[in-house]
Amino acid sequence: MTTAAVRVRGLTREFTRRRAQPRLALDAVDLTVEEGEVHGLLGPNGAGKTTLCKILSTVLLPTSGTALVNGFDVVRETKQVRQGIGIVFGGERGLYTRLTARQNLMYWSALYQQPTRVAKARVAELLERMGLLERADDAVETFSRGMKQRLHLARGLIGDPRTLLLDEPTVGMDPVAARDFRSLVAELRGEGRSILITTHDMAEAESVCDKVSLIDGGKVIGTESPRTIGGWMSKYERVRAQGVPEEVRAKLRALPGVSEVRVEDDEEVLVSVDAEGAAARVLRTLVDAGVSAVSTSRPSLEEVYLHVIGDRGLAVR
Amino acid sequence: MIGLFLAAMRFQAQVVRREPDYLMSLVTIPLLTVAFLAIMGNAGRADLAPYAVVGAALMTIWATALFVSGELIDADRWEGTLEGVLAAPAPYQVAYLGRIATVTVISFLGLVESALIAWLVFGVTFPVPHAGLLVLTLACTAFSMVGTASIMAPLFVLARSARIFQNSLSYPFYLLGGTVVPVVLLPEWLRPVSKAIFLSWASDLLRDCLRAEEPVAAPARLGVIVGLGVLGFGIGHLLTRAVFKRVRENGSVGFA
Repeated sequence: MTTAAVRVRGLTREFTRRRAQPRLALDAVDLTVEEGEVHGLLGPNGAGKTTLCKILSTVLLPTSGTALVNGFDVVRETKQVRQGIGIVFGGERGLYTRLTARQNLMYWSALYQQPTRVAKARVAELLERMGLLERADDAVETFSRGMKQRLHLARGLIGDPRTLLLDEPTVGMDPVAARDFRSLVAELRGEGRSILITTHDMAEAESVCDKVSLIDGGKVIGTESPRTIGGWMSKYERVRAQGVPEEVRAKLRALPGVSEVRVEDDEEVLVSVDAEGAAARVLRTLVDAGVSAVSTSRPSLEEVYLHVIGDRGLAVR
Repeated sequence: MIGLFLAAMRFQAQVVRREPDYLMSLVTIPLLTVAFLAIMGNAGRADLAPYAVVGAALMTIWATALFVSGELIDADRWEGTLEGVLAAPAPYQVAYLGRIATVTVISFLGLVESALIAWLVFGVTFPVPHAGLLVLTLACTAFSMVGTASIMAPLFVLARSARIFQNSLSYPFYLLGGTVVPVVLLPEWLRPVSKAIFLSWASDLLRDCLRAEEPVAAPARLGVIVGLGVLGFGIGHLLTRAVFKRVRENGSVGFA
């Protein structure tokens, strides 16, 4: 039997603050990331994604439950856990900004106990891989946000980890950099690394992950393939149209799979659907009626959550 | 372990080079030296010039430990780098000791600077009759200063009003450490407290190294300086472990 890269059971984390109600950041979370898998943790801000990453990277203790990384317990076997992981916390913080990229990475490599000669070669390799070699000796404070994020990634890889924890790694990246990042994740998977990546971007989750877990309000709602979640997105597609006569609106309301036909302030009609193929039927009806100002849009992730959670009868917070 | 310690020392040297504000106390030392020498000269006690030089230097060394070494962990916390340090497999205590060691070594340049100011401004020079012992005392003082600073760094993470706490540890320790005024001149009831502070032993021995007479019981006094330093390392180690456990428990490793 192979060891899962990440195995979390009943993991709960409560934050207590003075003169404030305790806040439950994680509520009995179960999660498994198989070895060699890219697993997305998809959820809105405040869902508990970062809290989970912090616990898995040993910088935060859980209130209850267990979490194993590469088979080691994050509370009792921190040293072994730390030897096998690389972490990338999103955002601009987490780097020594007055120092150069190379100086940053050399220090981090020392913290991963690499001999200087090995570290120098590893740092040069990572700088090249991240496209930062030309700016290697410039102060990090002069970097763009995307460059800083790439440096974060280099730092996460400095210890050649088996398991990578990427917390919102594409925050601040431009679309080109984000696309390059996705290629990099594919490369890392090819190297046999396991990756847990948190994001609130469905497109990102769809393009890089083998499996995606939806998390909200500290609970994992479910784990599905990206294709299934992508299906939910198209299932709840919306159609907007202008100049739709009343009789056509009535026809739209009668179509199977149409959940709502709403007239907005500017005479724009918004048609919401909740069944696969319904959007196509709506479009056909509109075109047949001679309506040409038509567009479709995907629902936000939050809207999909509401639909999915609603369908499953769970409480929505 | 030694590799990590040296890498951390090198890293801190790079930080200091990029952030000259770390050297602020070396900017103020000429002012202290000039003030002390002027007072002693006007009082007709030019013979106390070495006291002024040593006093200004020790005040600088202590202030640097307090305001630079003492803030290293907290600064990492503000920068968001502490999470990464904590999640790395290396013993973070060794990394911080290496960084503190660099800060301490740099702060000892204050002694050279103070002696130079005395010579340049007042034309004061003084012989060093016990140069070997002076070097040894400086080395032991530096060792103990690193040990003591290793207590401060986690302590200021713990303290709710770290700034006030830090400031309150400056002048009392200048006094109790006998930096300018020898401990024997302090009120008798203060002396036992003073004896528990390595700085008072170090400052007395440093001054004795600049006098013609043979310093009394020098090896024993060096032993006390080192012993108190070792105690500092021990307390610092336990305190750092406790503080890191606490921030992992309450979720305050970072401020974000």
